[in-house]
Amino acid sequence: MAQTAQSLNPARPPEAGHSVKRYTGLMDWITTVDHKKIAILYLWAGGFFFGIGGLEAILIRIQLIKPMNTFLDAQTFNELITMHGTTMIFLGVMPVIFALMNAVIPLQIGARDVAFPFLNALGFWTFLFGGLLLNLSWVMGGAPDAGWTSYTPLSSTTYSATHGVDFYTIGLQIAGLGTLIGGINFLATIITMRAPGMSYMRMPMFAWTTFITSAIILFAFPAITVGLVLLTFDRILEANFFNPATGGNPVLWQHIFWIFGHPEVYILILPAFGIISEVIPTFSRKRLFGYSSMVFATILIAFLGFMVWAHHMFTTGLGPVANALFSVSTMLIAVPTGIKIFNWLFTMWGGQVRFTTPNLFAVGFIPTFTMGGVTGVMLASAPADFQFHDTYFVVAHFHYVIVGGLVLGLFAGLHYWWPKMFGRMLSETLGKWTFWTFIIGFHLTFFVQHFLGLMGMQRRVFTYLPNQQFDTLNLVSTIGAGLMGVGMLIFLWNIFITSRKPADAADDPWEDGRTLEWTIPSPPPEYNFKQTPLVRGIDAFWKEKLAGHKSMTPSEPVGSIHMPSATILPFVMSVGIFIAGLGFMFSRDTFGSEVLSFLFNNYIVTGLGLVITFGSMLMRSLFDDHGWHIEPEELEGR
Amino acid sequence: MTTVHAEAGKGTLPHEPEKATLEGRNKVLAFWLFLGGEAVLFGTLFATFLALRNSTNDGPSAAELFHLPLVAAATFLLLASSLTSVFAIQAMHRNKPKELRGWLLITVVLGAAFLALEIYEFSVYVRHEEFGMTTSAFSSAFYTLVGFHGAHVAFGIVWIAILIGQLVRKGLTVVTAPKIYVSAMYWHFIDVVWVFIFTVVYLLGKVG
Amino acid sequence: MATEQHSQEGGVKHRHRHEGPQRHIVVFVFSVLLTLLAFAAVAAGGVNATFAVILLLVMAALQVVLQMGFWMHLKDKGHLLPIVFMLGGFFIAGTCIVMALYWVWWD
Repeated sequence: MAQTAQSLNPARPPEAGHSVKRYTGLMDWITTVDHKKIAILYLWAGGFFFGIGGLEAILIRIQLIKPMNTFLDAQTFNELITMHGTTMIFLGVMPVIFALMNAVIPLQIGARDVAFPFLNALGFWTFLFGGLLLNLSWVMGGAPDAGWTSYTPLSSTTYSATHGVDFYTIGLQIAGLGTLIGGINFLATIITMRAPGMSYMRMPMFAWTTFITSAIILFAFPAITVGLVLLTFDRILEANFFNPATGGNPVLWQHIFWIFGHPEVYILILPAFGIISEVIPTFSRKRLFGYSSMVFATILIAFLGFMVWAHHMFTTGLGPVANALFSVSTMLIAVPTGIKIFNWLFTMWGGQVRFTTPNLFAVGFIPTFTMGGVTGVMLASAPADFQFHDTYFVVAHFHYVIVGGLVLGLFAGLHYWWPKMFGRMLSETLGKWTFWTFIIGFHLTFFVQHFLGLMGMQRRVFTYLPNQQFDTLNLVSTIGAGLMGVGMLIFLWNIFITSRKPADAADDPWEDGRTLEWTIPSPPPEYNFKQTPLVRGIDAFWKEKLAGHKSMTPSEPVGSIHMPSATILPFVMSVGIFIAGLGFMFSRDTFGSEVLSFLFNNYIVTGLGLVITFGSMLMRSLFDDHGWHIEPEELEGR
Repeated sequence: MTTVHAEAGKGTLPHEPEKATLEGRNKVLAFWLFLGGEAVLFGTLFATFLALRNSTNDGPSAAELFHLPLVAAATFLLLASSLTSVFAIQAMHRNKPKELRGWLLITVVLGAAFLALEIYEFSVYVRHEEFGMTTSAFSSAFYTLVGFHGAHVAFGIVWIAILIGQLVRKGLTVVTAPKIYVSAMYWHFIDVVWVFIFTVVYLLGKVG
Repeated sequence: MATEQHSQEGGVKHRHRHEGPQRHIVVFVFSVLLTLLAFAAVAAGGVNATFAVILLLVMAALQVVLQMGFWMHLKDKGHLLPIVFMLGGFFIAGTCIVMALYWVWWD
């Protein structure tokens, strides 16, 4: 069918697609549409923002090391906590999640690329430019200071007069666009690009959690898109959505934010669940215990994740009926999560467990995340939450699930797939040093915060009075944060020395690989699979190993492989949105220079940005991308 | 994956040219997913509108403001344009490029007429009823919800117009067909959103 | 043009029967009737408010089901995933609306 279809384009000679411009160096990275390179871009960019967020965290902890500290003033502290939360969630961990998804998912499902390579690149660049815009606030009049939740009226122009919150709304809007694009791309990829024989119930768990995560992104991000538009309109166009004086309602913002915000935390944790479900079976030499219950639990968590948002608002005054309802639905989430915890334990039980660095992180994840889950159930109890609300108990809880859960999971995944992404094994010795310093530092930092919270220390305060029994625990917490920083530095050192080593990682460097990514070279060639493999069961590679085979059975003869062309349009489109956002933000300002005022106040800058973006879109539509082919001779030549 | 290969040659356009290639099928599927997200987007806008519908801040209320005949006219224009885009897709499936272009053109014209009515409506509110974006929470919510829909219509008009141009230049192929199919899905979805807007915003606004 | 050749060769390979415009016109007529009824019910006035709300929402839903089913082909086979994801979107949208109606204002 496809063959007949192709013959309908008479305009092009047969070989037209073959002469394609290949870029090198920086241009290669800016124009790439290869999911493996985009993965590395996500990793670098995410790592960069993670570093910024980490520095902000260290500054916060230094300020809180002793009572009445004057290291930072209150305004700077507010900006730091706001940017720490926002940066870590939207610009730090989410891109690293996308890095692993991009690096691994097409390989795990036996595909040569994602469904939309162009959109994949566009998603990355919009995320990057959104993140840069947000962080530009530091040097352009002050960072956002209303907390990462940006509650109104604190985030209204009355209480936050600088452009900080505008950077928040518009920066996140642009970065969120990239996330949404990425989500749709992964959904389509997993639905249509699976290799022959890979039914849904034969997909690796990481592919499953990526699929469900992408679905949550699809349904959650439009809500924050609207929320951010409303807040932007309130701040820039003087609309009245959240202003009680003119009939607006600040509670509406809280609802919209959390209808997005709670699913967002499942967007963060589900990929970690997927990574742990890959690492533990590999290093236990056993198949994942209760695979189908894992799939079911993932779907259930995703559904319930949308039904619990108001547990962030117990103290807002929704009344006993709503509070009871959201209390119960929140506690319900413990059931599918518990299923997962027990499945991991049962996978290890009776297995030949090897404590490699990835597995150390995975095994460390289980009790740490469980502790975060347990405090989650405590917080779900509405009456108790009136005590916990806005104290360090909450801070401890969400750092246990996000750092103790997601970040440990990401470390496990990065160490596990590093050889596949870069062709080099990270040092195991340094990896174990990373693990021990990081996890000890983590528990030192956050375990004590539970008690700080229970003793009444409020979150988001820039300092505290002495002799309230807060002093020692805060000192311990800051020492722990330093130790986590040391762990990060060891990890960076590990990356650095590894990059100097020869790229000699084997196809299956852990030797017990179970899934398709371990059947191809490390790093994979740009077409991934010379021949698309035939999948005969769950853990496809392990199944072949058990049958005594060294490789997969191909499902097709060696043939010409079609590749998408590199293009700079995604980059240009993102630059356009960046300019438009910046222009809109300053559209009501008076500048010292007449020319600047004219350009901004008449929306000329905004218009220019939009012209660049929509113009690039038009070009993409008008000029078909015929791609190019890798011929069988080139494949054999390798 | 090894599909797209440009060969001069003969053959027939497949029955559903939009789904003939993997690229085409991906595009249609992904657009459905996108529409699922759009449903949440408009859902949140409707929620905002419903929450703030009575917060008129001493400005005009829905019952005082809306003129049903104008809204009814706009509704029938958009409904008719949805039908003509169905005819366009049928013409595409019958491989009648000229007919296809004609129906798309009518769709664009009807859409533009709808948009003109909306702009007229907004201008009346702003100039004669003193009902602007900043008047009240209700006005902010009204302009944002209906304006978001209007922006979608405007984008759709430009999009379909560009596709007509591509049909003229490139003809109906397995590359252009998915684009046309997807734009028709988009157009239907806009009509579906409008069904809720005229019901929830205008009619229920009149009922009070 | 390749597309022109279709009419000459098409006869042999052409196995699909193209659906006519009739059923879409029927859907259109139904949509018009539902719309007219909705506008008429409000324009006539005197309708009980609660009844009007239910009636209008039911007619809107009916019209949407008709259009999405026939015009967007959701009734055809092979549309399971689109239906799942559209229902997902509508479900979350409905959740937002419940939020707006019950949990934004209180005394």
